[in-house]
Amino acid sequence: MATLKMQNVTKQFGRTVLAVKDFNLEVEEKEFLVLLGPSGCGKTTAMRMVAGLEEVTTGNIFIGNREVTELPPRKRNVSMIFQNYAVWPHMTVYDNIAFALKLKHTPKDEIDKIVKESASLAKIEMLLDRLPSQLSGGQQQRVAVSRAIAVDPDIFLMDEPLSNLDAKLRVSMRTELKAIHDKAGATTVFVTHDQSEAMSMADRIVIMKDGEVIQVGSPDDVYHRSRTIFVADFIGTPPTNFFDVSIQKESDGTHLVNPHLNLKLEPEMAKYLNGYNKDHLILGIRPENILLVDEAKAALSASCLVSEPQGSHQVVAIQLDDNIIKAVAPAAPKIAAGSNVYLDFKQATMRFFDPDSTLAIND
Amino acid sequence: MTTKPAKIKKPIKLSRLISKTIFYMFIVTLSVAIILPAFFLVSLSFLSTREAYNYPLPLLPTLKTEYSMTFGDRGYLISVYDNFEEEYQTVLDTSETEKITVYMRNQLGTPYTIPEIEEQIAKLESGAEDPVYFSARKNIFLNYISFFQISRDAVPALLRSFQIAGLTILVSLTIGGMAGYAFARYIFPGRDALKFSVLFVRMFPGVAIALPMVIILANMGFYDKPIGLVLVYSVGSIALTIWITASIFMGIPESLEEAAQVFGATKFQTFLRVTFPLALPGLAAAAMYAFLGAWNETVSAIILTQFNPTFPVVVYQALLGAVGNVNLAAAGGLVMAIPSLIFTFIIRRYIQQMWGGVTI
Repeated sequence: MATLKMQNVTKQFGRTVLAVKDFNLEVEEKEFLVLLGPSGCGKTTAMRMVAGLEEVTTGNIFIGNREVTELPPRKRNVSMIFQNYAVWPHMTVYDNIAFALKLKHTPKDEIDKIVKESASLAKIEMLLDRLPSQLSGGQQQRVAVSRAIAVDPDIFLMDEPLSNLDAKLRVSMRTELKAIHDKAGATTVFVTHDQSEAMSMADRIVIMKDGEVIQVGSPDDVYHRSRTIFVADFIGTPPTNFFDVSIQKESDGTHLVNPHLNLKLEPEMAKYLNGYNKDHLILGIRPENILLVDEAKAALSASCLVSEPQGSHQVVAIQLDDNIIKAVAPAAPKIAAGSNVYLDFKQATMRFFDPDSTLAIND
Repeated sequence: MTTKPAKIKKPIKLSRLISKTIFYMFIVTLSVAIILPAFFLVSLSFLSTREAYNYPLPLLPTLKTEYSMTFGDRGYLISVYDNFEEEYQTVLDTSETEKITVYMRNQLGTPYTIPEIEEQIAKLESGAEDPVYFSARKNIFLNYISFFQISRDAVPALLRSFQIAGLTILVSLTIGGMAGYAFARYIFPGRDALKFSVLFVRMFPGVAIALPMVIILANMGFYDKPIGLVLVYSVGSIALTIWITASIFMGIPESLEEAAQVFGATKFQTFLRVTFPLALPGLAAAAMYAFLGAWNETVSAIILTQFNPTFPVVVYQALLGAVGNVNLAAAGGLVMAIPSLIFTFIIRRYIQQMWGGVTI
């Protein structure tokens, strides 16, 4: 196991397309790092550069103390799990797992031992004689996992390994992959576009957009302390609610105002705006931080558009002009569509964003 | 007490009966159309010359011939039993024993030695029997032996054909396979136009471009040499190979190759252990087309060779009547067909060997 360091890495396709821009990253030993972003954000390209499957345009990549920027994939001692599994269809499961070991001329009995160990870790020890075409998607994924474990790599790379599985299997494989990671203690870079996958597995999340890193942080960080509007919107289901508000300083304190909303800021929140000299901002608040209150305390009142029961809670959707605001409320009492709801915000959890730079003001 | 219900025979619907009948008629017609010529060729190649030029033509070759011998005007009168007319027909009246044996061998496919015929003559002379009846066993492969004896070029031509077909496979698979891989894996300007244009070479009939080819090959010093024909055949089969292999390489996910590289394989090992086995069915199919194309090609070979013909040219010459008879030509034709058949049956195993997830 080793660390991974990427310094000022850039990837350019053709003359114009910048897939990855000035990418800097350090992954610690045994860390489970997730590259998260919408499709086309360069996360897979970044990982493929670590694997050596894409050439680096500029910048350097280090695995441990070795510089691997110019090395071919086979000399990097990384292993990779592909989105479409990429198990070789003409080899049995055993041969798939033993492939790398055979190339290294490992003694036969040792190969046998390693293959059986890594197969049992991925729970496919009874499938060793099968051909991949005789396996289900989930089993093929397990073959890919044990093939990756068998080589004892410095870095594990996983390129959306769960996206081809059905929803239920995906969630259970998530747990298993994480367990295997903990058992093997491997430094892992995991690429996904599924934020809930990222939240549930990652030690740290790197959020990317248009080839750039937007935020690096723990799942808690990116969720509660989103650095930009993009992050706040991308992370969480339902996503953060946004209000375009103007700042009005009145005698009793600072108010955030728009046609539907008049929110008097608590002093500790108001002080974040001291250094801010624009009269507009974007207010972001998570659905679970919007509270249903009595009419008297309400910062916002509107009629409920629809309520989605989720068992443990309900998601209340409210239409304000063109925007739909979602709030998470307790399951009971059930809120009927069309009824009036009165809302207040947990002010400590609010995020203020600069409408021009989209960056958060209150950090 | 229960009684067994009487079995009711289902009436067959008339429309179904008709459609089935038409279906089987179609199938039978089709098989007859395919099998009959092949059967005819095989049967003809085993007929003796006399049988082959007889009317009506026998369906199957005889295995032995009945002879009768009596005294004739000029010596001994030899008659042959005709299976169709069911009577002996006089074929020869001579006193020379050698002439008799040559006739028996060449016309009826029954090798008979001079002492053997003299023995029969002795029987006749002694007056014990008149006429003398005897039968001679037919050498069923005599046509094949004769074909190679009469067409002096046949054996070298056969070897030459093997050489040409083998080299054509090698050249077209090497160049066409690599080009097919490039077409499948890389995007470059003009790719589709180029891929289509390789098919242009197949649009020209061999005869139409024969003269320029003769001139070009003569200038290269390859006229009447196997290598010249290899070049000509390869041009056509490279085009086909490119199309076959490109489509099969396209069916192999790139991630399979990338996985091999990540897990420690060099580019060459990746090709050898992953790409090649997965592409084998396509390569086998391409090899088969290249072989059949080169092996069976006659027109260009007639034009582009003079003293070093290929085997189809030799068969063609046998058919022309310059050397022999139809039954000899049939024997030659069958000799030519056998390697194609064997090669196709061997290669068929690989073409069928489709791995899961990879389709052409």
